[in-house]
Amino acid sequence: MNHVDPAFIKGLTIGLGAIGPAVGVGLIGSSVVGAVGRNPEIQGKILSTAFIMIGLVDAVFAFVLLILFTT
Amino acid sequence: MLAPFLLAETQPLAPQTLFKLGPLPFTNSMLFGLVGAVFVLGLFGLAAKASRLWPKSRLAFNVETLVDLVYGLMLDSFGDRKKAAKHFPLLFTLFVFILINNLSGLLPGVDSITLTVAGAKISLFRSWTTDLNATIAMAVISLATVHYYALKDIGAKGYLRHFFADSLKNPMTYFIGVNELFGEVLRLVTLSLRLFGVIYGGEALLSAIASLAGNFGWAATLPIMFLEIFVSLVQAYLFMMLTASYIVMSTTHAGSESHSGAATAGSS
Repeated sequence: MNHVDPAFIKGLTIGLGAIGPAVGVGLIGSSVVGAVGRNPEIQGKILSTAFIMIGLVDAVFAFVLLILFTT
Repeated sequence: MLAPFLLAETQPLAPQTLFKLGPLPFTNSMLFGLVGAVFVLGLFGLAAKASRLWPKSRLAFNVETLVDLVYGLMLDSFGDRKKAAKHFPLLFTLFVFILINNLSGLLPGVDSITLTVAGAKISLFRSWTTDLNATIAMAVISLATVHYYALKDIGAKGYLRHFFADSLKNPMTYFIGVNELFGEVLRLVTLSLRLFGVIYGGEALLSAIASLAGNFGWAATLPIMFLEIFVSLVQAYLFMMLTASYIVMSTTHAGSESHSGAATAGSS
């Protein structure tokens, strides 16, 4: 491990860092579809909560991008 | 041809100094933040001037629709008209100011107009929310408001009771209380870093895509632009809703937390 290509590390960073947020957004999406299927009359409320949650999860990926582009 | 309107390279993490006001460095993000503040003030001043019972001007009508929309959201999360009306001005200001500053980073020429100061080429404008100082300042303002109203509304004893909620004879209470106090500091970090990271990361992504696509940068960045518009909206909304739910959580008494509507969003 004397010399590791920085591009390799960057690729690994974005690849591994994308796993968590991807799974998180997928879980949010599946729960939203389920919830809307159960009671479609409060769809607007469910969607606004879902967007909050997506924003919270997306921030993790933003940190990955931040580390990637600033080093 | 389109080169002046695409980002040449990623902005450095810290904003660069344009000139010095005494000991205070005046940075490019501060300049653009001032421009954004003047724009928001002018927009809402004009709308307030033109506002009537039956508004004739389109601007006043649209601004009133936006205010009404956000006020409805606040009514939902506070569940109390008086409290919502009290905290609405700060929350709406945060929302509009963050939204305008997020979106203004996507305007052509914002990062790409450069000038030379002291031998270094720096850009004249830089979006206010891509500066960590700015987002920390806004997070400090919103959290100071939260703690001020928590102390004012439920008193010092109730305020401490939020952290040390259980019986004081139980040593576990102190452990949880210290953790909660630490979480209070962490709120500041997450609130500011989330906004900064998302907006700065987005702009860095735009410039990276533009440089990867070469001559077709104008086409390749278009879908990313739409993503950025969406993300800007979500982040401004999130900052406002998180501040609102922090206020709701900390100004209700410890026993009556169960019926605060927006408390779920603040658990991160």
